[in-house]
Amino acid sequence: MSEYLLEVKGVHARVEEEGTDILKGVDLVVRPGEMHALMGPNGSGKSTLAKVIAGHPGYEVTGGEILLDGEDILELEPDERSRAGIFLAFQYPAEIPGVSISNFLRTAVNARRSEDEGDIGVLDFQMALNQKLELLRVDKSFAARHVNDGFSGGEKKRNEILQMAMLAPSMAVLDETDSGLDIDALRIVADGVNTLLEADRSMGVLLITHYKRILEYLKPDFVHVMLDGKIAHSGGPELADQLEEMGYDWLHEPEAAPVGQP
Amino acid sequence: MADGIMTRPDTVGDPQILAERRQAAWDEYRSLPMPTRKSEEWRYTDLAHLDPEAFEHIVDAVVAPEPAATDDLPGAVRDVLAGSDSRGGTMIEIDGGVARLELDSAWVEAGVIFAPIALLAEQRPELLERFLFSSDVAPMERKLWALHVAALSGGYVLYVPENTHIDDPVHIIRWLSRAGVMVSTHSLIIVERGAQVTVIDEFMSEDLEGEAKSLNGVEVFGGDGALVNYLALQRFGAGVKHFSMQHANTPRDCTLNSFNVSLGADLARCDVTSHLLGPGSDSEMLALWFGGRGQHFDYHTLQHHAAPHARSDLLFKGALTDRADSVFRGLIRVDEGAQLTDAYQTNRNLLLSPDSEATTLPSLEIAADDVKCSHGATVGQVDEHQLFYLTSRGLTRAQAERLLVFGFFGEVLARMPVDSVRERMTDAIERKIGI
Repeated sequence: MSEYLLEVKGVHARVEEEGTDILKGVDLVVRPGEMHALMGPNGSGKSTLAKVIAGHPGYEVTGGEILLDGEDILELEPDERSRAGIFLAFQYPAEIPGVSISNFLRTAVNARRSEDEGDIGVLDFQMALNQKLELLRVDKSFAARHVNDGFSGGEKKRNEILQMAMLAPSMAVLDETDSGLDIDALRIVADGVNTLLEADRSMGVLLITHYKRILEYLKPDFVHVMLDGKIAHSGGPELADQLEEMGYDWLHEPEAAPVGQP
Repeated sequence: MADGIMTRPDTVGDPQILAERRQAAWDEYRSLPMPTRKSEEWRYTDLAHLDPEAFEHIVDAVVAPEPAATDDLPGAVRDVLAGSDSRGGTMIEIDGGVARLELDSAWVEAGVIFAPIALLAEQRPELLERFLFSSDVAPMERKLWALHVAALSGGYVLYVPENTHIDDPVHIIRWLSRAGVMVSTHSLIIVERGAQVTVIDEFMSEDLEGEAKSLNGVEVFGGDGALVNYLALQRFGAGVKHFSMQHANTPRDCTLNSFNVSLGADLARCDVTSHLLGPGSDSEMLALWFGGRGQHFDYHTLQHHAAPHARSDLLFKGALTDRADSVFRGLIRVDEGAQLTDAYQTNRNLLLSPDSEATTLPSLEIAADDVKCSHGATVGQVDEHQLFYLTSRGLTRAQAERLLVFGFFGEVLARMPVDSVRERMTDAIERKIGI
């Protein structure tokens, strides 16, 4: 067993069939139970990193390694990475008309079960789902709705958190889960994440965000800043305050870096 | 008549009206040229191979004296019976011959008639005189229609008297037993003023070693304010070529809905026509198909608005895999006097393999100036963003595709009026996707 839950080592990646790397050597480690916030301006590569960790087929990894529990996952398909414990909360969740959340989640839960275990019983599944709905204070009727079909921004993000609760990942990557949410929706989503963290204190979280706003509700242990495809700075929670005050520009000056490695 | 006509025992013989119609149709069949692929209507389905001479025709009106025992029915038919909740009435046809016919006694007392066409000629000749083969069949469909009538193997009449509501569906199971035959069946549904009924015509066979032809004509006549849901479920095995011609005739304030499901056969050509003849009439036309192997599905639809203030809403969705191909050719025709028409036509196709192909040709012909009409058509592949989303939750690519196919059909299946049929068709699609 590795000391680290997730290790991103010198990862370079580009959009398939395009010439230049978007990620230019990303290094990041997450231990069990840690929450890391990844901040940075638009286009710095934050969302690309999230997709590369989840195995998006549109990106090509041109160098480096990504390990989960010490095992290289770069060769794994997205579904295999999910079953290994990775969860990506999407910035833009897909709409799947005609498929209920409940049907979708049952298929996803069954996909994680071994042949010996067989499919989960209908009642067992319903009980598990109801429990999570209750935990996240979501109305039961939510599960009968079609996946993200006609959902508001807040409902889509709440659906991401519900899926996370049902799939119980060891490593969750939340990609701009806070964007496009009003303050009430933001609080509901953040409460959901905190509730799940209380239930599973060994879960690792990588929280990708644009704004400091969500950090009033979620308390990361570390904050990283990504600039131009690399982690430019890392620090404790106080780094977020500095970014709020000073923006990102000062980070371009290497000698001005005030924060050491964690 | 063509050679190879087979007569079987237990036949009541053709009543005069049927014999006359048959002969007239045969004369018409011989006088008409075979449509070629040069005509728009038959561009995608070649009738040259139809060659009625090459098949053994079953053209007698067979009525078994005793209903077949359940044990004597094909296993697949028994399975359908077991899962059916059609207590309204049931009929089992084997190669056009009636093997069993049941109608709940309450409906018999209410005056409902459910009988083979040949028998009805004795009891209610005026009904046949007035309705049988009387639909307005388009010129390009006439050759095939004439063959269907001339070669009629069997069929039923369902008559529902005024203001009678049959709550449970009436279920007809049509089994085709072997290769080498041409079976022609007819469904004549007459629903009087204010009456309501749901009818399921289900076509089945095993995979055949060799070829068989199935011709089917459907005529639905509603009365003012009547409501009919007509469902055609085509689940033939390999080797079958199926031709279905469906005509719904709706007078004032009448609602005739149709729902076509095609999963089987090598070739299925389906002409679905709603004749909106009275003000306030309404027709919802739904269909879904899932093709694999080298299956060929060819749908032609006509929403003919002959009266003002009528509505028609068509939604046809097909998914294809392997080397299957499909054609949708739909027309909304609005006659000059048919003001305030509401007519919608949508065809959506989902291609799951690089060798599958869908052609879609929606069109409008509008002679009135105050109408709401729309048509839309799409041919698309599985969306990569949706696939990544589903696989990132642990579903394999195959599981994700299956869920997306169900999602695609969900919009149509949700409008299926019979719950037990929705469940059975969902199972059948699931088996066919085979994941």
